[in-house]
Order: sequence, then structure tokens, then C-alpha cells
Amino acid sequence: MSYFFQIVVSGIVVGSIYALAALGLVLIYKSSRVANFAHGQIIASGAFITYALTVWATIPIYISFFISLIITFFLAWSVERIFLRRLIGEPIISVIMVTIGLASIIDGLIYLTPFGTKNFSFPQFLPSEPIAIAGVSISWTQLVGVIITTLLIGSFSWFFKKSTVGISMRAVSDDQFASMSVGISVPSVFGLAWATAGLSAAAAGGIIGNITGLNFDTLHAFGIVVFPVVILGGLDSILGAVVAGIIMGLIQQFAGGYLDGNWGLNGTGEVLPYIILLIILLIKPHGLFGIHEIERV
Amino acid sequence: MSANRWLATGNFFTTYQEEQRTFITNLDRLIFSIFLLILFTWPIFFPLNRTYMLVINNILVAVIAVLGLNLVTGFAGLISIGHAAFMGIGAYTVASCSRVLGDSHILITHFWPILILAGGAAGAITGAIVGLPSLRLKHLYLAIATLSFQMIFEWAIKFLTFFNQGQTISVGRVMWFTGEIGREKHYVFWYYVTIILIVVLGFGIRNLFKTRYGRALVAVRDNDRAADAMGMHPGFTKVYAFALSGFLAGVAGAVHAFLYKGAGIESFTLHHSITYLAMAIVGGLGTLNGSFWGPAAIQMLNLQVEKFSEYAGNYLPSAMNLATALRPFTFGLVIVLFLMFEPRGIANWWRITKSYTKTWPFRY
Repeated sequence: MSYFFQIVVSGIVVGSIYALAALGLVLIYKSSRVANFAHGQIIASGAFITYALTVWATIPIYISFFISLIITFFLAWSVERIFLRRLIGEPIISVIMVTIGLASIIDGLIYLTPFGTKNFSFPQFLPSEPIAIAGVSISWTQLVGVIITTLLIGSFSWFFKKSTVGISMRAVSDDQFASMSVGISVPSVFGLAWATAGLSAAAAGGIIGNITGLNFDTLHAFGIVVFPVVILGGLDSILGAVVAGIIMGLIQQFAGGYLDGNWGLNGTGEVLPYIILLIILLIKPHGLFGIHEIERV
Repeated sequence: MSANRWLATGNFFTTYQEEQRTFITNLDRLIFSIFLLILFTWPIFFPLNRTYMLVINNILVAVIAVLGLNLVTGFAGLISIGHAAFMGIGAYTVASCSRVLGDSHILITHFWPILILAGGAAGAITGAIVGLPSLRLKHLYLAIATLSFQMIFEWAIKFLTFFNQGQTISVGRVMWFTGEIGREKHYVFWYYVTIILIVVLGFGIRNLFKTRYGRALVAVRDNDRAADAMGMHPGFTKVYAFALSGFLAGVAGAVHAFLYKGAGIESFTLHHSITYLAMAIVGGLGTLNGSFWGPAAIQMLNLQVEKFSEYAGNYLPSAMNLATALRPFTFGLVIVLFLMFEPRGIANWWRITKSYTKTWPFRY
């Protein structure tokens, strides 16, 4: 039975990371209807900036984590300002391809640094002894990661519910013309959405980097695997991203724990999200909490 | 039609048949025939070494694939991020024949054209199945559906022992009337096969858009409700667009398998799907000649980047691999710059050049 609970715990850990990674995608889609295929690369750069500040500039990790959030905030904002601002109103294929192109550009830039080819790992700053309760163990890094994720998602929800900027972002996602008429600058809201998405991506990157170590391939793979998560949750729902992230994490861990090794199966955790994604798209394309706006043709 | 059948400065069509002609003037036809003649004869007069012949063959295989992608993304307006997987289906059709029957079975050595068609058919069937979500979905959702097909395909190939878990499955050499195609003649032979395929398929697509089936694709892209009102079935039209594009991709994949004498997963990854999409965009979406410009441009760019980084690598510390960094960087930069400044692609430059030479010395 403790094996079962162990899987549940690690599923929740992985799931909360998925939720945080998916949050950025949802933020961008919610306001500007753009699917960001460069999200994995932004996550990776957030993680690498945190590492560089912590280890090379020897800043304490508590501070460097926040500095990297701020740097990525402005990085993502400038990406929107330079590349995507021109493409407002262009066909969706152009926008998708621009984000794919951006992903490729960031890939190239990261390969210029040592991070592209070598593996790094963060210095241990938490107790290495895992916490064990009734045979179920969770490491300190994972626990802190889950707590930070919960705090971040909570503050994002508060930001969208209560703050003026958050409400204006929701207004833009609801109706661009109406929000323009009450004096909201739609382009600056798009920029802000990208910036907050970059911030959440950097947070996700920092946490993933601490849990799994810094490997560029693993980190940018998150940019693709969040798509099943956001589709399951509904592309424009923050609550959906959280719920679907945890569901997806649990499914992956259960598949890895119970399916792999039996009946000759292997690596099912990698493929199941996509199979679920296809099924969701066929029967319920708007996801669990998304807005029903799919056109039937 | 103007009185002069050799030169025309404008459109003087009096019947719809005239407007539908592939070659407007006799001069067009003459130029095209000479161009084809050059394409078929240059390897005899200027034999290239194997490296460059392979580059040319790569471009031509990519042309077939991009023709298919252009059908589905350019003409039908459905974004497909799984085109390499369809190619993989074609290649693995050939490869699994070779695995079951042995890599120099008579089916591979003598009846390889049938295998190429079979690869196309397998691609078409898979295309239709993957296209099924397009009965309900549009745009972004469809892009993500094809993306997930790509990921499932990659996983399946890497997982199944029948497909050698993604390792290369070898395919034998083929026979021609003159005997087995040896090592020296291999790339030249497949150059001719690919060129013939491109000419046949290119004319096929050109003529498809003169029929109701081709026009239905464009109609559904531009406005699916209007198309529905005019009696087309938008859902089935989309599925059939996917099937057609899957056919072309399957053919390209089968040729790829024969060309490389094997099929492995490393040629059909997500990265390749994105590359084909980039080729289609750089060439010009929704144009036929864009499918030729795009692959050539992207492959040439890759080659130049490779050369440059080899040259620049002499002046850099050896630990730094400049090519791995520069290849994705320039690739992404080209996509972004084209989308920002020339969204209609190289085909648009071609159009401008053509109309300039046609009206020269006048401006219009």
C-alpha cells in the first residue's frame, strides 16, 4: 500500500510542476489567443539564469531565484514587444510558426552557452535526508517545490481576481473591443501576459532544475508536454491547468509504476498524455474547464 | 487569347478553358520544356560527386513532402505539425517489407515502384485517420492533434521491437533494366526517380485545382460555412486533404527509405516536422512553386551554416561546437524574419520577378 501512496505523492509533485509550467501557456492563450511553442525554452532559460546567478555569481539561491524571475519577466516582455506585437491580427499559422521559430532561436542561443551540452545540478541547500511518513517519503526539494508552486498559483489567482491589472487582463481575454472602449491598452496587456508567463516559466524552471538537475533536453521537453495538460484543463482556465496538471502527473506516475515492466510495456508515461490528448480532442475539445467555443464543422 | 500565342502582356481570356491552361503562352511551354530537359540531362554532362548528389536528392525528397504539406496547410488551411510522422509511415512501410521478406527480396529489388505506391497508400490511410479530429476541430486544436500524432508515432517506433526500436532497418539495393543499381549510380538513379515523381505529382496537384475537389479545399479554407452552404462537406473535405497530403508524405518517405537504403526514427522526428513546415512557409504557403523554393532555400542555408561554422571553428576553442548552436539559431531567425517581413515567401519574389520581366521595359 505504501507503494501506492508513494506514487500518489510523486504524482502530485510532478503534477504541480506541470501545473506551474502550464500556467504560463494558459496566461498567454487567455489574453492573446496565441499558443506559445517556445514555452519550454523559456522554462529552460529561467532555470539556467537561476543556476548562473547562484553558482557563478555566488548569490544565495533565495535571492537569485527572485532575480531570475525578474530577468525572465523582462525577457518574455521584450520577446512579445519585438516579435509578436507585429503579428497581431495575422493568421494563426504565422503566430504558431513565429513561436516555433523563437524556440529555435533560443535553442541556438542556449547551445552557445555550456548549458546546451553539459549537465549541471544545483548545490544542495536543503537537508538531503527525505521526510518519511509511514513508508512514504518525499525529499525536501520536492516539498519546497510544491509549496512554492502552491503559493505562486494562489497569488496568480488572487492577481486575476482582485488586482486592477489582472481584471483588465481578464477583460481583454473576454472581449478586446469592449475592453478597448473602457480604456484598456490591449497591446500592453498582451505584453504583460507574456511577461507574467515568463515569470511563471522561470519559477517552474528553477523548481524543476532543483528537483531533476539541469539538462537542456529534459527542460525544453516540458514545453511540449504541457500541451496535453492545457488541453485537458481547457486552454484558458487557470483552475483547469492546476487540476489537469495534477491529473496528468498522477497518470504518468501510475503508468510508470504499474504499467511499465508488465506485459512488455515500457515508457508508457511518455506517450499516455498524448493518447489522452487525442481522446480529449475527439470527445471534449474544450477540456474540463475551458470555454465552449469550439466550432463544429 | 491574344493574337500572339508566344507573348502576352496581360490576360485576354475569352473562355474559361483558356484561363485554366497550365501554360498561358507557348513561350511558357517552351521554357518549361527546356527546363525539364536540363533537369533530366545535366547529370550526364556534369557528374557531381556523391556528397552533392545526396544534397540534391535530399532537397528533392523534401520537395515531395512539402508539396503534401502545402496541400494541407497552404491550400486547405489546416496546420499539420506531424508531417514527418506521415513520411515515417511511408518509410516504415518499405522497411517492414524488407524486415519481413529480407532486404533483397524480389518485391524490393524488382517491384520497388509498387512499394513506393504502397508507402503512399499507407500514408494516405494514416492521414485520413489522423485527419478525423478535423471533423470537429480547427486551427490550434488541430495543430496540437497532429503534434500528438507525431509524439505517439515516435514512441511507437522506439517501443516496438518489430521496428528495431528506432534503429535503422536496412533496405536493399534495387534493380533496373540494366542490372542492379550499384554504389556509384545509386544517387543518380534516385535523382531521376524523384524528378519523375515530382513532375507527375506536381502536374497532378496543378490539375487537381482545376477540378471541384481541389477548389473545395480552397473554399473550405477561406470560409467553411460558405463552402457548406454551396454543397461541399467541410469535414470530409478536410479529411480528404489530410489523406492526400499523407499520400505525398508517404511517397516521400518511401523514396527516402530507398535513397538511404534504410529507415530509422532519427529522420522522422518532431524537429523534421517543424523543418518541413518552415520550408513550406519560407517557400510560400498556398503556392505550388513555393514547395520547390522552400526546401532548396532551407537546405542551402543549412549547408552554408555548416560550412561557416567549420571555418569559424578554427578560431574558437575546440570544446565549443558552433554548428549545433548556429543551425537552430539561423533556422529560427529565417522563419521569424520571413513571417515578419515576407509572409508570402520566396514564391512572392518569383512572382514579382516574373511580372517584371514580362512587362519590361514598362513598369506595368
